[in-house]
Amino acid sequence: MSRTILHNARVIDPASDYDGPGGVIVEDGIIVDMGPHVGPEKDEHSKMVDCHGLCLAPGLVDLRVKTGEPGSEHRETLASASVAAVAGGITSMVVMPDTDPVIDTPALVDYLRRAGQTDAVRNRVYPAGALSQGLKSERMSELSLMKDAGAVLFTQVDEAVRSSNFLRRSLQYARALDAKIMLRPDDPDIATGSMNASGFAARLGLRGLPKQAEWIGLQRDLTLAEMTGSTMIVDQVTTRRSLEIVEDARARGQKIHVTSAAHSLYFNELDIGDGTRDPDKAYLTYCKVNPPFRSEEDRLALIEGLRDGRLDVIVSAHDPQPPEEKRLPFDEASFGAAGLETLLSALTTLSDQPEYDLDLLTILRAMTVNPADILGLEQGRLAAGAPADLILFDPRRPWKCKRDKLRSRSGNSPFDGRLLTGQVMKTMVEGEWVFELTEDSLT
Amino acid sequence: MSFEYEFPHRHLLGIEGLNRLDIEFLLNRSEELINTKTPEQTLAGKTLINMFFENSTRTQGSFEISAKRLGADVVNMAVQSSSVKKGETLVDTAMTLNAMEPDLLVIRHGASGGVRLLSRKVDCAVVNAGDGTHEHPTQALLDALTIRRRKGRLEGLKIAICGDILHSRVARSNTMLLHQMGAEVRLVGPPTLLPPGTESWGAASLHTNMIEGVTGCDVVMMLRLQLERMNGMYLPSKREFFQLYGLDEKKLEHAATDALIMHPGPMNRGVEIDSAITETANSTITEQVSMGVYVRMAVLETLARNLDRSREAST
Repeated sequence: MSRTILHNARVIDPASDYDGPGGVIVEDGIIVDMGPHVGPEKDEHSKMVDCHGLCLAPGLVDLRVKTGEPGSEHRETLASASVAAVAGGITSMVVMPDTDPVIDTPALVDYLRRAGQTDAVRNRVYPAGALSQGLKSERMSELSLMKDAGAVLFTQVDEAVRSSNFLRRSLQYARALDAKIMLRPDDPDIATGSMNASGFAARLGLRGLPKQAEWIGLQRDLTLAEMTGSTMIVDQVTTRRSLEIVEDARARGQKIHVTSAAHSLYFNELDIGDGTRDPDKAYLTYCKVNPPFRSEEDRLALIEGLRDGRLDVIVSAHDPQPPEEKRLPFDEASFGAAGLETLLSALTTLSDQPEYDLDLLTILRAMTVNPADILGLEQGRLAAGAPADLILFDPRRPWKCKRDKLRSRSGNSPFDGRLLTGQVMKTMVEGEWVFELTEDSLT
Repeated sequence: MSFEYEFPHRHLLGIEGLNRLDIEFLLNRSEELINTKTPEQTLAGKTLINMFFENSTRTQGSFEISAKRLGADVVNMAVQSSSVKKGETLVDTAMTLNAMEPDLLVIRHGASGGVRLLSRKVDCAVVNAGDGTHEHPTQALLDALTIRRRKGRLEGLKIAICGDILHSRVARSNTMLLHQMGAEVRLVGPPTLLPPGTESWGAASLHTNMIEGVTGCDVVMMLRLQLERMNGMYLPSKREFFQLYGLDEKKLEHAATDALIMHPGPMNRGVEIDSAITETANSTITEQVSMGVYVRMAVLETLARNLDRSREAST
């Protein structure tokens, strides 16, 4: 039996609303005790870890990660993504099915699940399945067989569901299986551009992605969820009004979960840059994501939603893109931002600014227990019996994000060059340390 | 030279970022060049590469003539047959061009911001000859020069820019420049082709009624309507567009009596402009083409001088 006692920590456990001094005891990969009473013991069979006052929290559960495996391993593999993930404190990640081939059969789910269990992969990998075969929204995938094979949720990722009838039938069918469905609200007919539709976009001569596309898609998806009595995970909202639309549905008794990407809480559309302040900061393709960075008002509304709990989950929306896809004119560059290594740091940086009034319990809740509960996972909490997936982090430690220092195979981070506050020092998965910060991260 | 002014920019990527002094300097220098029979060979020994990712016979020709009048060696890169078509990224293209050590690069690119992206990877001076639906600064300068020569000033003039504002880089650059110089710029077009946020370019007002928009104007500037916009999404038909927004005698009556009629070319006669009025004394359409050569001479000469200075400073 192996026994580790982590003591002298600031223990933060959103599941029990505890934020205070104490420690955690881990036995054979399982948490057996936690709380203020846990301290060093005189026991030669236990390993003592003095946390020196660092924050000890459950490892993060990330509901939206893209890798390039299978099919585009030059972008990212499960192994390279996992190295980046544990450095960002992410101990469980759900990988998206829009790979080549699309993950739309039980065999492919099983393949991915096994690939995620090899030694080179340092965290827990959960495959998401494609809701429709080939993501074409024409024929349903074998949801039940794929669920049995290990698919934790079903999604169309970035492919819109063009047919409302297809979505209705899928929701009906999935409901009986208790299969989770995650959909990004969009109307691809009017969302044909490359950044938020606004006066700023018009001045840059860039075509817009109107926020109304998100509202239209959201209204339709929620209406169909109501019609079929289904729950739904709304993937990455970006506007104030979207949160209001979801609240309306909830007021009618619908069970709806909502996520946002960490970068959508951090950046607004002006971060794309027009070159007037700094000639090098214009048309920044690392800031090209879909859904796009919106107005400052909408960004603040997302922070408000996180604070008051309307926004349940923060995801990294990690989407590694190689240089040849980003070193292009803005309209021609691909969408997507690397996000694994900055997920927690983006939020601790916001939390460090008093005007946002976000405490650590609040930000961690949206990245640990909430996503774990949605998927029915035991982790994401510091409870006796839960798997020992833990992070030790310093919420005030400054570091500079640099793309060439990122562990992800693709360095397309909008945080490139930014100073962030808060960094993961150590990460444990199933009782084993899988990451320890060694370098001085300011240089 | 009219006065000693150090133009502070390495490239000409857009009108945005230029101040009134920069603009006046370029216009004054263009005017001097008009009055110079044999211009000094200020670009002798310099290499200019024209790289047009979008076809444009007139703008490319205008740059070539301007550069040759000042003694430059001009190379026209044929994009159609180059490796660009074979999937090379724009940044790779930039680095390849840079390795040939040109002094001046004139670029037209179909994507907004494409020229700026290229300019960041090269050591020479870059002129934006049009990028996507963003900017076309030399067009705005030549239009301003044409107006100034005819009207004697820019300040206080009422200028209507009409047609497809949404997709027009000419409209963006012209609005910014003319506003900067103190003119009142009105943008006129169908609601589907008027973008949001034009006040940030300096537009004074927006009009969907053309007569209202041109009333009392000293200049009516028409834009080319891309015929592919006629697919029914933006506009129902050519004849309806002409009826509402084509410049004809009847609409022109509402402008000032000596109002200039301008068009950046190439014209769609009978779509945005009635043939009959293109050849009147107030039409400046061919004059604009002539002014283009002088403005581009002034721009190339100025950027080449700045390049020489920075090279001297670094050795």
